[in-house]
Amino acid sequence: MIRFNNVSKVYPNGTTALKNINIHVKKSEFVFIVGASGSGKSTFLKLIMHEEEPSCGEIFIDGMNITNISKKEVPYLRRKMGIVFQDFRLIDKMNVFDNVAFAMRVTGASERDVKKRVPYILALVGLQDKADRRPAELSGGEQQRVSLARALVNNPALIIADEPTGNIDPEMSYDIVELLSEINKRGTTVVMVTHEHNLVKKFKKRVVEISAGDVTSDKKITEVIKNEI
Amino acid sequence: MRFSSAKYLFSEGFKNVWKNWMMSAASIGVLVLCLLLTGASALLSINITNTLNAIESQNIVKVYLKNELDSQKADQVGKSLRAIENIVSCEFYSKEQAVEKFKDTLGKAFESMKENNPLPDSYKVTLEDIAKYEETVEKIKEIEGVDTVVNRSELFEKLTKFDRFVSLAGLIIVFILALVSLFIISNTIRLTMYNRRFEISIMKSVGATDWFVRVPFMVEGVIIGIISAIISSIVLKFFYDFIIQVIKKNISFFNTPFSDVSVPLFLSFLLAGVLFGLIGGLISISKYLKKEGGEILGW
Repeated sequence: MIRFNNVSKVYPNGTTALKNINIHVKKSEFVFIVGASGSGKSTFLKLIMHEEEPSCGEIFIDGMNITNISKKEVPYLRRKMGIVFQDFRLIDKMNVFDNVAFAMRVTGASERDVKKRVPYILALVGLQDKADRRPAELSGGEQQRVSLARALVNNPALIIADEPTGNIDPEMSYDIVELLSEINKRGTTVVMVTHEHNLVKKFKKRVVEISAGDVTSDKKITEVIKNEI
Repeated sequence: MRFSSAKYLFSEGFKNVWKNWMMSAASIGVLVLCLLLTGASALLSINITNTLNAIESQNIVKVYLKNELDSQKADQVGKSLRAIENIVSCEFYSKEQAVEKFKDTLGKAFESMKENNPLPDSYKVTLEDIAKYEETVEKIKEIEGVDTVVNRSELFEKLTKFDRFVSLAGLIIVFILALVSLFIISNTIRLTMYNRRFEISIMKSVGATDWFVRVPFMVEGVIIGIISAIISSIVLKFFYDFIIQVIKKNISFFNTPFSDVSVPLFLSFLLAGVLFGLIGGLISISKYLKKEGGEILGW
């Protein structure tokens, strides 16, 4: 699903964010990306979303080389993925339904499809009764579930979650990752950046650690625990 | 673009005008002012041109005779006039007839003029070929006893100069106002974009094309343009009709009725309004479309 071949990223101000990275995420895989602040995790996600272009190397998403795609192709690349942000990024003036529907409308979906699909996705994240509420009326965990519903609504092959549990309490965090895990079981690839080692330990998934722009470890969780012991 | 998207984007554009009503009103105000001044100078210019055409097509020349001329000599002048090739007819107006006409037009206060008549005898001469105007006037001036020939070309020249002045001044004012209104419209939209940058960043992250982001802002600009065109046309019509009513009684200068120019004027206003709205919209959006993700939000 995602392949980074010798990818480096140097920003115009000279900061080297990633150094010669090689990562391969298979279809239907669940990968945690961990690392300290400024380690290059965000750059890694930005390169996947094509918010940034690599300085060298090649990036493939779902078999497509996105290294030098044109600006026009970027929106279509992003429709292949659903993105969940740490700060939810919900639109306050829209209710829950419209926030989720928004992602469908952007792709030109018909209102008939929107009315059919959105309630289904809201039910999937357990918010079927809160469709008319504004984001401000919801708890942090619920807002993040709306954000997740928006990421899922276009049925993407890949979910990118950028510290989705960073702004919510531990119990809710567990629910969110559980939900992502459920989605992953249905065949969607999930890449989740996180700081929280407890979550990483609880869900036995592949963990890629990035440190100072380098992949310092890439293991299954069982191995991480063994090493720590 | 799919119909469902078009419907959604257009309704978003309409909503934006209303949501940002203060800035929309400011944009409309400036654009209306710009269109009004353009329209006013265009109307003035049209009237001057029409008057010029009317003068140009006039083939009647007034020939005033010297004051000391007796009736015999005046007849002599008449014969000489008729002898000129390009003159079709020539009608004599005695100084008494001139006073009568003066009195009819300007009232009985001028009754006393009869006793001490300052007006000269004159001939109303009709020319055959207007192209030979200058040449014929020269010939008339050569006739003995002729004092002055009312020279069309002097008035013509003055009006032409005035027309040029009006056109140039109008053009400069319109150019300046055009820049100002473009600046205000694009700022209005830029402010809207700034307020909605969060929404734009989300739009882009879920795969909105640049056009999807752009269209509501362009619709907003176009709506501002259309509203401005309608308001300016109505205001200009009332203003023009009022001026005609007041002035026409005294001067027959504003001789073009508004209905003659209303359709092209409204269409030009509409075109200008829509174009300005569209350009204003496009200028302000490009800045945000180049950015990505957090950059849009200024992070």
